Amino acid sequence: MARYNPAMTALRRRSFMIGSGGLALAATLGRNTGLAADKPVLVNSIRSLTNPYHATWNKGGAAFAKSVGCEYVTLVTEGNSEKGIADIRAILARTNGNMVLNVDPNDSPDARPIVEACVKAGAHVVTQWNKPADLHPWDFNPYYVAHISFDGVRYGEETANHLIQAIGGKGGIVALGGILSNTPAIERKAGLEKALAAHPDVKLLDFQVAEWLNTKAHDIVAAWITRFGSDIKGVWAANDDMGTGALEALRAEGLAGKVPVTGIDGIKLAVDAVKAGEFAATVSWDPFWQGAMGLSIPYHARIGAFDPTKEPKLHREFYGTGILVTKENADAFAKEHIESDPNLDFNDLWGRISGPIRQS
Amino acid sequence: MLQTIQLSKSFGGLPALRDVDIEIRPHEVVGLVGENGAGKSTLMKILAGVQQPTSGSLRRDGVPFVVHNPREAAALGIGMVFQEQSLLPNISVAENLFLGREAEFTRFGLMNWRRLHAAARRELQRVGLDIDPGRRTAELSFAARQMVELAKALSLEERVRGELVILLDEPTSVLERAEIERLFARVQDLRNRASFVFVSHRLDEVLALSDRVYVLKDGSVVATLPAAEANVTQLHRLMVGRALNAEYYMESDQAPYAPEVVLQARGLGVVGAYRDVNFELHRGEVLAIAGVIGSGREELVRSIFGFLPHTEGELRVNGLAVRLATPADAVAQGIGYVPRERRTEGLVTLLSVAQNITLANLDSVLHGVRIDYGQERTLAEDWVKRLHIRTAGVDMPCGSLSGGNQQKVVLAKWLTARSRILILDHPTRGLDVGAKEEVYRLVRALCRDGLSVVMTADTLEETIGLAHTILVMRDGNVTAVFDAVPGAKPVQLDLIEHMV
Amino acid sequence: MSVSSGPSPLALPGRERRALYRARLRAWAPLLVLIGLCLLIDIGNPRFLTIANLVRVATAAAIPLVLALGTTFVILLGSIDLSLEGVLAVGSVLTSLLAANDANSLSFGLAVVPVAVLAGALIGALNGALHVGFRIPSFMVTLGIWFAGVGLATVLLGGGTVRVLEPLVRDVALTRVLDLPVLVWIALAVLLLAWVIQEYTPLGRYMYVIGGGEDIAALSGIPINRTKVAVFTLAGAFYGLGGVMAAAQLGVGNAMIGDGRLFPSVTAVVVGGTSLIGGEGGVLNSLVGVMIVTVLANGLVLLGVSPYLQQAIQGLMIIAAVAVSIDRVRSAIVK
Repeated sequence: MARYNPAMTALRRRSFMIGSGGLALAATLGRNTGLAADKPVLVNSIRSLTNPYHATWNKGGAAFAKSVGCEYVTLVTEGNSEKGIADIRAILARTNGNMVLNVDPNDSPDARPIVEACVKAGAHVVTQWNKPADLHPWDFNPYYVAHISFDGVRYGEETANHLIQAIGGKGGIVALGGILSNTPAIERKAGLEKALAAHPDVKLLDFQVAEWLNTKAHDIVAAWITRFGSDIKGVWAANDDMGTGALEALRAEGLAGKVPVTGIDGIKLAVDAVKAGEFAATVSWDPFWQGAMGLSIPYHARIGAFDPTKEPKLHREFYGTGILVTKENADAFAKEHIESDPNLDFNDLWGRISGPIRQS
Repeated sequence: MLQTIQLSKSFGGLPALRDVDIEIRPHEVVGLVGENGAGKSTLMKILAGVQQPTSGSLRRDGVPFVVHNPREAAALGIGMVFQEQSLLPNISVAENLFLGREAEFTRFGLMNWRRLHAAARRELQRVGLDIDPGRRTAELSFAARQMVELAKALSLEERVRGELVILLDEPTSVLERAEIERLFARVQDLRNRASFVFVSHRLDEVLALSDRVYVLKDGSVVATLPAAEANVTQLHRLMVGRALNAEYYMESDQAPYAPEVVLQARGLGVVGAYRDVNFELHRGEVLAIAGVIGSGREELVRSIFGFLPHTEGELRVNGLAVRLATPADAVAQGIGYVPRERRTEGLVTLLSVAQNITLANLDSVLHGVRIDYGQERTLAEDWVKRLHIRTAGVDMPCGSLSGGNQQKVVLAKWLTARSRILILDHPTRGLDVGAKEEVYRLVRALCRDGLSVVMTADTLEETIGLAHTILVMRDGNVTAVFDAVPGAKPVQLDLIEHMV
Repeated sequence: MSVSSGPSPLALPGRERRALYRARLRAWAPLLVLIGLCLLIDIGNPRFLTIANLVRVATAAAIPLVLALGTTFVILLGSIDLSLEGVLAVGSVLTSLLAANDANSLSFGLAVVPVAVLAGALIGALNGALHVGFRIPSFMVTLGIWFAGVGLATVLLGGGTVRVLEPLVRDVALTRVLDLPVLVWIALAVLLLAWVIQEYTPLGRYMYVIGGGEDIAALSGIPINRTKVAVFTLAGAFYGLGGVMAAAQLGVGNAMIGDGRLFPSVTAVVVGGTSLIGGEGGVLNSLVGVMIVTVLANGLVLLGVSPYLQQAIQGLMIIAAVAVSIDRVRSAIVK
């Protein structure tokens, strides 16, 4: 899940270029000292390393780079589009285009200049989550290899269904959404609404925006308890941070475990909560996979393992597969994905395609 | 008791004080006079620890000492009442009185407000100020604040044993008669404990209060005389280097004004301030408005410049009825305002002389949207010459000029803006004798050139001397109108009769 | 006979009393706004003024209050402290790593509290030292420290999140005394401490003096540099404590826990009537400001206001609250 833009407050967004903290650490964190000069450099561009989701993404990328013996670089945008694009341009110049890029663009419009820069430099690129609807990999052969996203509508609906199941198919629920203008927020909300439409006995008492933040979710749920009291049977959250914030607010009222919560992202806290029966479900995108395979795909294109121009459109723009985590599989999931790094077959490029991306 | 020996101070190469030797003996009041720029303020600041001398030494009872800030000076019993107020507006009077001395009222890390206020009340009573020491300083009037400053300096009396030296820098310029008298009485009271150094432009006051007088000119002491043996004329001559012009207000230069009416008021009024004011200002005329505080004259003047739009009656400029809602409106009508607080209201002290001169009329040096700096300089240099503005250059920030020269810059600004009507609000406040003369000369010259002047002056003498017509106000009404023709001028008593 | 302490000679005699009344009214304006807001919300949803909800409002306001108090002191000086989010992150991370947690086997219990507060104080002291030592504007220094703090928190956790398991720490948020969570009592204690510092210690008075006129303060022998460093240190300590409280409330420590808290903190201070120029306002003002911001957020949810409108409404409220309380007559110049 890409839209951790709680930091899209006036202060952070599109404002400060920073050298300290994030970037310096990020750059050192991800780097393997360079090996063979003709091997391409593998580059991951993500929002930040301060959240577990991207931190795991980064680990996946590092693991893949190690497996193929290539230099690995992490770029951090800190929620700043200009910085993201500038950093990519800089490394394209430094490597003279001999690199592959796996990028989670800070905002949809950013994808175009990034792709164009890569194509111009002759570097292979994969984008994830955000891109403009009219930008397609097949228009930029062979360098723009693929775009990967996850179906927010589907998973918003699946978690909602699990929540409805957990509350016995009827009653009132409340919902916490992400920043209104973010695509994942819009998609997941649409999924929620689909689930609600299919279950007329379940009523949506209120929908509020907690901007992906646990603090805001906490305070909103507290106010909801005043407003709706015991009418609230369950809480649907568009991401795990908000879900865990909501859970703590419930806990302060002695309601943890009694009022189920769902989230999306599959962070450790959420998985633990699922194990403890406080969360009904969460969804993991497996950021380790995103960070690793997002590099593996363009890498294999670059070394000639396959020709992007010959691949079907399904392999160029596709939805990946999320892992729904519920009580049944929580323990196994934790063992495989959290307590250790997942065992991935880096050569299985297309194994997780679940369908083509909805063209809207 | 307090001595300076060969004290010198230069600011970046420009000498302000040269080898000054002065002596302040116990129990005496020493007057210090001199033109602006003569070095009085600098000398005082060095004594008070605000500035450090470039060379020379200070001695207290024969022992050399060095002070780096006013606090250290206070420890030696030297206190100063500043000309430009040194009180913080956002804290209480009591806190201001004891600023820097909080430790005296702190126990176990906490302040004892009761003790602080009690001590403050004591100090305030000494200067006859009966106000709540917990009051925010910003809420006091200017005069009250001046008295608080005085109380602050005098509070040294309690703190320091031995003789005090209190420096009074122009303390009377904003005080009313009664307050001045109280100040003088206080000084007399404290004589047995303190010596005073009294700086003022009001030579008569200096002579009345002091035992001895030092005259400074261009940074050096040119004379020291016992006050009893001196008179104002003598002092003036020593300060300026030439004889006091017998015709101080240049009455012989007062030419009759033209018949043309440039500004007319009929039934002018502002609710709560003044009412039913009628006058006609002619070309080349000086109209002076006399009145005490609360008479409405301040508000009337503000109405003419657009600070306070009138609510009744009508105002006509060159025959056309106008309502001046903002100063910009007034400027557009050709009216200029030389304010009383020139440092804060008349100039931008950080900007240069040249920039200030073009401030009210940048169009005069604009080419399209570009400011022609060369033209601005030439214009400024022209004014510097014409008005004899003493400055190291037209690029100097105005803050570095002396009061009188700043005043001239303000005048130059309005003349550049081609104002035809000038409002002079206490134009010679804080200026020395020589600078005042120059202002009077300028006023006469401006009238000859066809400008008209509305004036409120510091003293009745100045009002009578300069004016063609005098409007006397009391409690918001015009109580008398006098013609002040040279040779047949009214006397002060005539005016006072209608003022109080 | 005494000197009348009326308004300045340039003010109008007839309007003196009115101006004074207006000034008094302005000082009370934020409180009146708060009361008005409470009444309006209660009319819209009578459950607002119930004990249960007021407890929730107090709980939501506890951490912002502690943060705003630290910010208030710095703003009184005439400076600004942007490092709030970074220090809070470090505080929460230290708390979560040192108390019983799910990432390591350390378990120092409540001893983490002084550690986090001390860490915050040290960072604050660094702010102050850089500011006065190198004469770097506070805006720049604290901005850098903000990101360094978040970076430090990231390094400590490797970008992850740690769950706080220590019951004593979690109890700070979950246990109630007299129906209020311990969190709220801590905030009240900090409020009292801050008020005493402001009103009764020389340090508190120096904040106003420096904010009101640093040049005059210097001439009066006020220890300006020492005071500034002390104020930043104090603010840092408050933020560190806020970090502990956040870890207790949300049960986690991570580098993002401070995200989005700076702006409401400064907003609360300004809305409460403390001037950004310095020398005006204070602790009680910030209390009112924090309550206004918190009550508004709570009220918008209680009234079921569409999330699309909420941010707009919050923005308008801020403008309205400030417009009512500033002195427009006196400040002829508005920047």
